[in-house]
Amino acid sequence: MARIRRVFSSRFLLPGAVVAGVALGGLVAFSGTGGAQGLDQATHSYGNAAITYVFPPRSYIPAGQALFDTFCASCHGAQAEGTSRAPNLVGVGPGTVDFWVSTGRMPAENPNAIQAPRKPARLSDQEALEVAAYVNSLDPARPAIPRVNIKDANVAIGADLFSLNCAACHTITGAGDELAFGTFAPSLRAATPTQVAEAIRTGPGNMPRFSGNLTNSQVADIDAYVTEYIQHPSNPGGFALGGVGPVAEGFVALLFGVGLLALVGFWIGERS
Amino acid sequence: MSADTTARTQRQARAARGPYGRVGQVIEELDDRLGLAKGGRVFLDKIFPDHWSFMLGEIALYSFIVIIATGIFLTLYYVPSQTELVYHGAYAPLRGQTVTAAYASTVNLSFGVRAGVLMRQMHHWSADIFLGAIVIHMARIFFTGAFRKPRELNWTIGLTLLVLSLANGFIGYSLPDDLISGTGLRIMYSIVLSIPFVGTYLAFFLFGGNYPGQEIIIRLFIIHVLILPAILAGLIGAHLFLLVRQKHTQFAGGGRTEENVVGSPMYPTFMAKTTGYLFMITAVITVLGGVAQVNPIWQFGQYQADKISYAVQPDWYMGWLDGALRIMPSWEFTGFGHTIPFVVLLPAIVFPGLIFTLCYAWPAIERRFTGDNSIHHLLDRPRDRPKRTAAGAAMIALMFTLLGASATDVLANFFQVSLNEVLWTFRILVIVVPIVVGVFTWRICIEMQGGGDSIGKRKRAVLMLRSTTGEYRTVDTAPQPDDEHEELRPIPVPVRIDLDTPVDAGDGDGQAGVRTVTR
Amino acid sequence: MSEHDELEAALDAPAPVASLDDPHLREAVANPPGAERAIAAYFVIGIAGVAVFGAAYWQNWKPWTLGLSLGVGLFFLGFGVSAWGKYLMPQGPFSEARHALHSARAEREAISAALVERTGLVVRRRRMLLGLFGTGVGIFSIVAIFPLLRSLGPLPGLTLTKTNWRRGSLLVDASGRAVHKDDLAPGGLVTVFPAGYEKNDQTLAVDQTVLIRAQTTALVTEPGRASWAPDGYVAYSKLCTHSGCPVGLYERELRLLVCPCHQSMFRIDDGAVPEFGPAPRPLPQLPLYIDSSGFLRAQAGYDQPVGPGYFERTTT
Repeated sequence: MARIRRVFSSRFLLPGAVVAGVALGGLVAFSGTGGAQGLDQATHSYGNAAITYVFPPRSYIPAGQALFDTFCASCHGAQAEGTSRAPNLVGVGPGTVDFWVSTGRMPAENPNAIQAPRKPARLSDQEALEVAAYVNSLDPARPAIPRVNIKDANVAIGADLFSLNCAACHTITGAGDELAFGTFAPSLRAATPTQVAEAIRTGPGNMPRFSGNLTNSQVADIDAYVTEYIQHPSNPGGFALGGVGPVAEGFVALLFGVGLLALVGFWIGERS
Repeated sequence: MSADTTARTQRQARAARGPYGRVGQVIEELDDRLGLAKGGRVFLDKIFPDHWSFMLGEIALYSFIVIIATGIFLTLYYVPSQTELVYHGAYAPLRGQTVTAAYASTVNLSFGVRAGVLMRQMHHWSADIFLGAIVIHMARIFFTGAFRKPRELNWTIGLTLLVLSLANGFIGYSLPDDLISGTGLRIMYSIVLSIPFVGTYLAFFLFGGNYPGQEIIIRLFIIHVLILPAILAGLIGAHLFLLVRQKHTQFAGGGRTEENVVGSPMYPTFMAKTTGYLFMITAVITVLGGVAQVNPIWQFGQYQADKISYAVQPDWYMGWLDGALRIMPSWEFTGFGHTIPFVVLLPAIVFPGLIFTLCYAWPAIERRFTGDNSIHHLLDRPRDRPKRTAAGAAMIALMFTLLGASATDVLANFFQVSLNEVLWTFRILVIVVPIVVGVFTWRICIEMQGGGDSIGKRKRAVLMLRSTTGEYRTVDTAPQPDDEHEELRPIPVPVRIDLDTPVDAGDGDGQAGVRTVTR
Repeated sequence: MSEHDELEAALDAPAPVASLDDPHLREAVANPPGAERAIAAYFVIGIAGVAVFGAAYWQNWKPWTLGLSLGVGLFFLGFGVSAWGKYLMPQGPFSEARHALHSARAEREAISAALVERTGLVVRRRRMLLGLFGTGVGIFSIVAIFPLLRSLGPLPGLTLTKTNWRRGSLLVDASGRAVHKDDLAPGGLVTVFPAGYEKNDQTLAVDQTVLIRAQTTALVTEPGRASWAPDGYVAYSKLCTHSGCPVGLYERELRLLVCPCHQSMFRIDDGAVPEFGPAPRPLPQLPLYIDSSGFLRAQAGYDQPVGPGYFERTTT
C-alpha cells in the first residue's frame, strides 16, 4: 500500500518558524517607530523677529573669490557674468548662492543636466558663506542669509500655508516628485531651516519666488512645519511606506495581503 | 445516597438521554422547534472540494467580515458632518485650524481613541485586500470556466459585488474629508458633469448643488455604512446560497465526475480549515493594520477646494480609472451650443461601462461562440481553453497597465526619467501590452496542451530509456498494478464509524486495515 | 422521484459504514501525537499573542504592539486549527452524489401549467382591470424616482457658469490681504480670490485664481489681450479644464503651469493653452488692471465658464 505519508516535522516546523521569525524580526525592526506625537507649541508670538537677514561679513570676500575661481568660474565665468553653460550670478544675492552651494547642488557634476540634484556638499558651510560674500560683492542684492526663529513659530499656520503653496509640487508629505520635461521637485527631508527659508525667498530653478505675498513670520511658520513635521513625521500607524501614498499601499495590499493569504490557502488546500 | 444508588441513577439518566447523550437531547429540542435534523445531517455531510484555488473566495468573505467588524467600531466615533469647528486635539500642526467635524473626528480616532488607529488601518487594509481577493477569485472563476451553466447567475451576482465594492471603497476613503480624498471627489464631480444631457443634473442632485456643497459627506456616509453594506450582505448571502445549492465545481481526474463532488466533509474537516483561515486572514490584516501605516490623513490636512497635493492617486482598485484619465488624448466636442468632453466621458464612463458589460455578458458570449449549453460541474484547465484564457489574460494585462498609468509621476520619479516620456510610454503600452499578453498566453496554452512529450500531461506510466548516445526519452506503457491507488478512490461519506468491526490484517488485495461493511 | 424523495431514500437506505481503521478516516500524518504536540504549541503561542494584546491595550502601548501581538496570536490560533483540520481530521477523499438540480418533467409541466392557465383565466375576463393596474404601477415607478432625485438638489441653472469676479474686483489672497503691484518678485505666484469671497468654501471653489508675476513688463498672451497682464502679472483660473483640480504647480523657468492630478501642462505665455496632457481647453484668463493705489483688480469677470466641460457649456 502506498498511502502517501507526509513527514510532519518539516511541514509543521517550517511554516511555523517562518511566521514566528518574521514576527520576531518585525518586533525588532520596528521597535521605536511609534513616532513623535504632536508637539505642544507655545502661543504664537515672535519675541524676536521671525527671520533676521544677515549679510556675510566683508572679510569673507577674498577667500570667497579664491573659492569662486577654483570651483565656479569655469562655468559661470571669471566675473560671474555667465556663459553658455551657466547663468549670470551678478545680483542674485547671497541667500541664493548659499542655498545652491550649501545643499551641494553646486558645484554641479553635470552642467548639462536639466536640473542639478542635491548631493553631499563639496564646500563647507563656512566656505559657502565666503563664496556668497564674494558674489554679493559684485552687485549687492537681497535676500541675505536668513536666520529663522523656529522656536516661536506656529506649525499650524505653517501646515496650512504649506498645503496651499508647497504641496502642489513637493507633495503634502514633502516626498518630492517628478515634474514636467525632466524637472523635479526635490524631497524636503534633508533641508536645514536656513535652506528652507532661502529656497522660499529665492525660488531656485523652477521653484516660484515667494516674496511679498509671504511675510517673514509666515515663512518661519512654514520652515518650522517642514523641519519638524515633514522631516520627522508623526507616524503612529507604523511604517510609513515612503510617504508616497496609495501607490505603495496598493503594492503592500496586493503582495503582502492577498499574496501572503493566497500562499496560506495554497498550504491549506490540495494541489491535485 | 450510597455509591451504588448514585451509579444506578447516573446509568438511568444516561439511558434516558439516549445513545448520543446531551448532544442528542439538544438536537431533539431544536428539531422540535426548527425541524433541522434531516437538513442538518445533509449539511454536515456536505463535501467541499479541496483544491487551494477554491479558497480564494474565502479571503474575500472573511476580509468582508473584518471590514464590518472594524467598521462598526469606526461608526461609533466618526462624525459625518461638514460643519466646521476649530481643532484642539492632540496633533499640533492642526491646532487652531478650522476643519470639518468629519475630518476632526477621523484625526481624533487616530490620536485620541485607544486602538483607534489600529481599527482605522485594519478597516482600510481589509478593504484593499477584499477587493484584491475578489479580483483574484474572479480570475480563478473565469479561467476555469466556473461561470458556465448552471452558475451564470452566481457570476452576475459576483460581478455586481465587485462593482458595488469598488464604489463602497471609494466612498469609504472619501469620508475623512482630507486633502487627497477630497481631490478624488472633485474629479468624481467632473466625471458626472461630463455625461451628456443629464450630467449637470445628476451632479447637482448627488452633491446637493454646485461643488462642493454641504451635503456630500453625510450622503456618502449613509451610502457607505447602510445602503451598500446591506446590498452587499444580501448579495453575498445569495452568492453563498447558490454555491451550496448548486454545489461547488471541481477539477477532473482522481475519481471526480460530473455526477459527484469529491473532497472533505463539512464537519469536521472543512469547518476546521475554514475557521483557521478566518483567523489567519484576520491576523494578516491585524498585523498590517498595526505596522503598516495607511492613509495618514493628519498629514494631509483638511480638504479645501483651492489646495492640492502632488502625487495623488486613488486607492489601487480605482487606479485603472485614474490611469485611463491620465493617458486619454484631449478630445472634446463643442458645437451646436453644447460641449461633450470625451476626454473625461470616454475613460471614466464609457470605458468602464464597456468593460463591465463585457464581463456581465461573457457567459452568454461563450455560450454563443462555443455552442455549449450543457451543464458543467467539472472545471476546465486554463490551457484547455486557450482563447478564453488569452482573453482573460489580455483583460488583466490591460487593467494592470492602466493601474501603472495612474502612477506616471511616481514611476518617473522612481526611475528618474521624464514624466512626459512615461506618459507617452503608457499610451503605447496600453495598446501593445494586452495584445502581446493575449497572443503569448494563447500560444503558451497551445504549447502546454500538446507540444512536447509530457508537458502538462497527467501522471501516467512511462518507461524511461537511455540511448547509447546518452539521450533520455520516455515511452508510455500500460499502467502497472501499483499505479492504481485504491485507497485514494473516493467513498461516500460514512454514516457510522463502527468501533466493533474487527480490522482485517489483509484481504489479499494488498490493502491492510480497510474494511467496509454494509449494514 | 423528486429530489426531496431521492434525498430521503438516500438517507434511509443502507449506507456504508466505515471501520475506524479505514484509510479515509485516518490522520494524514505519520505521527499523530507529534502533530498534536506541535499544534498545541501553536495554540500556546496564539494564547500568548492575544494575552499580550490585552496587556498592550490595557497599558496603552504603541499601536504597532497592539497589531503585532494580536496578529501573531490570531495567526497561530488559526494556523493550529487549520493544521488540525488538515492533518488530524478525516481527509477522505469522500464523495457525495451531485443530484441533478432540475425537477422532474411532470413537476416542470405542473408549474408551467399553473402559471399559464391561471393567468389566462385572469386576463381573459379582466383585461381592462389589468391594464388599469399596470398603468398605475408604471406611473408610480416613474414618480417614485422624483423624490429620490429631485429633492436631492437644485437644478443646475446658471450657477455653474458664474464666478464672483466682476469689473473692479479686488484681488485678495487666502487671508484677505489685497495684492499690491510691488508684492511679488518676478517668478512669484499666489492664489487669489475676489475680495469678500475668500473665506466661503462654496465660492472659493469656483473663484480660485492663480496670479503669477511672470516678468516686470506687460505680458501679451493672445491678440486682443494686450492690457490683461500689466507689469507681468497674469491671472488664470486655477480650476483645471480637465477634471477641476486646482492647478497649483508652477515651474518658474519653464513658465509652465502643471496640473498635479493628471499632469496637464499650460504655458502661461500663450493664454494657458494646454500643450501636454489631457486638458482639452485653455485655462480662462482673468483680465487685470492696476488701480490708482497700486492694487491689482479685475477688469471684468471671466469671459467663459471656468473648469471642466459639461453638456450645456457653450463657447462664448
